[in-house]
Amino acid sequence: MTALATTAPRRETRLPAPLAGTIEFLRMMSRKPVGLIGLIGVLFFLFLAYVAPFFVPLQDAVDVTAIYAKPSFAHPLGTDFQGRDVVNQIVYGGGDIITTAILAALFSTLIAITFGSIAATVGGRIDSLILAITDVALTIPQLILLIVIAAIFRPSSFFALAVILALLQWPALLRQIRAQVLSLKERDFVEAARSLDLGLLHIIFREMLPNMRSYIVIHFIIAMTLAIYAQAAIMFLGLVPLSGKNWAIMLYFAYNQGALFFKDSFLYLMGPIMAIALFQLSLVWLASGLEDVFNPRLRN
Amino acid sequence: MSAPLIELDRVSRTYTTPAGTITAVDDVSLQLGESETICIVGESGCGKTTTGRMLAGLLRPSSGRLLFEGADVWEKKGNDLARFRRAVQLVHQDPYASLNPTRTIAQTLAPPLAKHKKAHGRAARAAMTSLLERVGLTPPADFLLKYPHQLSGGQRQRVSIARALTVDPRVIVADEAVSMVDVSIRISLLDLLHNLATEFHVTTVLITHDLAVARYFAREGRIAVMYLGKVVELAATEPLVSDPAHPYSTALIAAIPEADPTITRTKKRVALRGAEVPSLLNLPPGCVFHPRCPLSEPGLCDVVVPTLGDLPGGRSVACHVALRERQPAAELLGVR
Amino acid sequence: MPVLSVRDLSIEYRTRRGPVQAVRDVTFDLEQAETIAIIGESGSGKTTLAVGLIRLSPRSARVTKGEIRYDDGKRAFDVLSLDAERLRRFRWADCAMVFQAALSAFNPVINIWEQFLDTARAHGMGDKHKVHDRTRELLDLVHLDPKRVLTAYPHELSGGMRQRVLIAMALLLDPRIVILDEPTTALDILTQRAIIDLLRELRGRLGFSTIFISHDLSIAAELADRMLTMYAGRVVERASVDDLFYRPRHPYSVGLMRAVPRVSGAVGSVVSIPGSPPDLIRLPRGCSYYPRCPFHIDQCLAEDPPLLRVDTPNHEAACIRWEAVAAALGSDAEAPVAEKLA
Repeated sequence: MTALATTAPRRETRLPAPLAGTIEFLRMMSRKPVGLIGLIGVLFFLFLAYVAPFFVPLQDAVDVTAIYAKPSFAHPLGTDFQGRDVVNQIVYGGGDIITTAILAALFSTLIAITFGSIAATVGGRIDSLILAITDVALTIPQLILLIVIAAIFRPSSFFALAVILALLQWPALLRQIRAQVLSLKERDFVEAARSLDLGLLHIIFREMLPNMRSYIVIHFIIAMTLAIYAQAAIMFLGLVPLSGKNWAIMLYFAYNQGALFFKDSFLYLMGPIMAIALFQLSLVWLASGLEDVFNPRLRN
Repeated sequence: MSAPLIELDRVSRTYTTPAGTITAVDDVSLQLGESETICIVGESGCGKTTTGRMLAGLLRPSSGRLLFEGADVWEKKGNDLARFRRAVQLVHQDPYASLNPTRTIAQTLAPPLAKHKKAHGRAARAAMTSLLERVGLTPPADFLLKYPHQLSGGQRQRVSIARALTVDPRVIVADEAVSMVDVSIRISLLDLLHNLATEFHVTTVLITHDLAVARYFAREGRIAVMYLGKVVELAATEPLVSDPAHPYSTALIAAIPEADPTITRTKKRVALRGAEVPSLLNLPPGCVFHPRCPLSEPGLCDVVVPTLGDLPGGRSVACHVALRERQPAAELLGVR
Repeated sequence: MPVLSVRDLSIEYRTRRGPVQAVRDVTFDLEQAETIAIIGESGSGKTTLAVGLIRLSPRSARVTKGEIRYDDGKRAFDVLSLDAERLRRFRWADCAMVFQAALSAFNPVINIWEQFLDTARAHGMGDKHKVHDRTRELLDLVHLDPKRVLTAYPHELSGGMRQRVLIAMALLLDPRIVILDEPTTALDILTQRAIIDLLRELRGRLGFSTIFISHDLSIAAELADRMLTMYAGRVVERASVDDLFYRPRHPYSVGLMRAVPRVSGAVGSVVSIPGSPPDLIRLPRGCSYYPRCPFHIDQCLAEDPPLLRVDTPNHEAACIRWEAVAAALGSDAEAPVAEKLA
């Protein structure tokens, strides 16, 4: 590792920019093993959720002869209350929940960046108003509000669900973004850019945003983990229409169809729980590894 | 001096704090000619940085005017204002904060060249190369792709100067630009700034707390000494340093330790009447220096606010006693 | 007899890129009631040396060899061999350190009296009344009003007052040695002057020895009896203050003298030292100043020159070209280097 670190910057052969960037990224990540494990874990689950379904045929048929079957070679984690393979459901059950989490994180980040930057740059009454709304939003007990909203609107598409989750998640990042912009605005290099008349767009996108990359990316990841927990909670409580394949829905059925009472269903229950937990852990570790990558001082 | 290029006309700047109103700069006037070098000198809290920021158009005076080529800057709009902004550039004190850590030197220099000189690609590279050469970062190719954290403090200050030069400024305001770099290389940075004035006719304002630095930098120019928001003395550098007219400048110069054992041991001191600097929240009446001043006269200095007046030799001083006696304070205090 | 003898002291920092040789083979004696100034650029090792003397170095630092011998006439020991408890006593009772008067040198939530009491207790002075009397006496000594200062919190004091408090605190246990790290750097000129005068007065009255670290040559000129110039972790010149200022023999000392403008006297030929200090992880072969040195010859690359006796027995410089340096400066008169080379 050290050998790579000392020789890499001296190499003169030019790699195409994206490739060189990727190599640099991996090199930085590999400095912190936890981050690298997180990255591998996240990639694994993304593969499982979005690529694996193309190769693994869906096993959706009810098999009354194999209800709550023991783990076996054919069914490594056993079967569910309708005799369907648990592994197969885990493969098919990641897509929706992860997509919803990504969309929710994306929406909440966009809201936070937009209004956080506006609050910090415009200031005055607009700032006070945005802050007041944020504070109110922060003080509402989120899970309870989520349950109420879900119960009223019964969001049936993952898109609608993502919007609802995003509406609950933006306040914390907004405060961070606002604080960052406020401090960046006063930084000498931003003042220099103003003096050089480089324009507001340059200042926001070239001077300020790159300095907030770490906040934004790390928040994005944390927002994904929160969105997954929130989904798991409301689906487990049965508050959204239960259609499709989904780790949280698996849990709902496992719990409500009495899997707890069958001695061979331990892995059936643990399957979705572990899928959610491991994916979350990977995300958190990835976030902690990224903190180093974004620190330019640690680059060579 | 011909018509001034840039001028502060009786500017003041007040701040409202929870503890009350503070006048950071009080009724300061300065006229700077083309390719002049001038230093604003004073201790912390004297208002020198605020004055520099008003001069650079980065801070609006609470009262008074900033004039550029005779026109009021804060009346300007749109393109005129943008042109003024580019004409006056600032070099900051902290070399670790003045460059964007996420951008390479090339990425720092390219945008202003692209926007204001329409220099792209090869032309931009040529312009950046010549700028880096001009600020002494050679060979330029070694620096273009570096990030700020890969450079030393002195090199970063040079990049800051190069960045200021991308827009061909008429005035550069350097706020303590050498105080955070190593002693061994300060002079070369001062020389670089000084060359801008002599070779490229840029008016250069150096704000510093260090009179030795000021004397070296403004050796052909002038020094303005500030105390608690006011300019107390304004004169050509050599007379000011060798024969200060204001009791405060006199005390300051007498107090500076010299890098010469004999001189520093035998230097004559000025005994001040008080050690503590008054708070800006609670300034003394009359002359703000009178509670510490060895020349202070009751009934005059603690009542009447002095204004800058002329002494022989083209120097201005805001001191009742020096102006009445028509002698610099250094003579009156016997520390010449 | 010296109160502190440092022999061949070497200190390394472990870093990801490899060991940084921050201090290399430093040898010097500090006599009773003497003031030694250590000058050099940032990265020259002067601060590492200073904190190394009382073993306050960060964890990543390691003394690789050498000896720091303390001897006050009654007790003598090698500081490097002290256990934790005896080291703690040595640090305040025998050798105290005064840091820059930043707010961070204080605990922000307790008042000055409690800061004194904490320091006293940490160093085995349990009697509150004795501490109180001693504190008042010391604050008087640094010209502060104990009534006002003792109940104040650190942020309520000005920079100059904080520096006075730190000096008083260092003197709490009447140490024989006081180490000052850039004692006046952050202060305004008039405050700096007052602190310099105070240090001189206290030194005369209490007779302690002083080591002070500064990048500011002028304060060294004011306070020092002898000086050490450090470059790339080594002491490259050791001389009396007058010899170093008027008759420097190491080209780096000459470079530093020439790099500092002055307020009085002729401007002279003031120039910066070209180039930058070497990478302490990959030190070049031979003299580490070679690339920046105007006097260098090929022979300088053969080995890192040892300290050689020059002019007088009390003057040493690590330069094989010291005679050429002397010739370039011309006269030995007491005139600044920048004037001689103008």
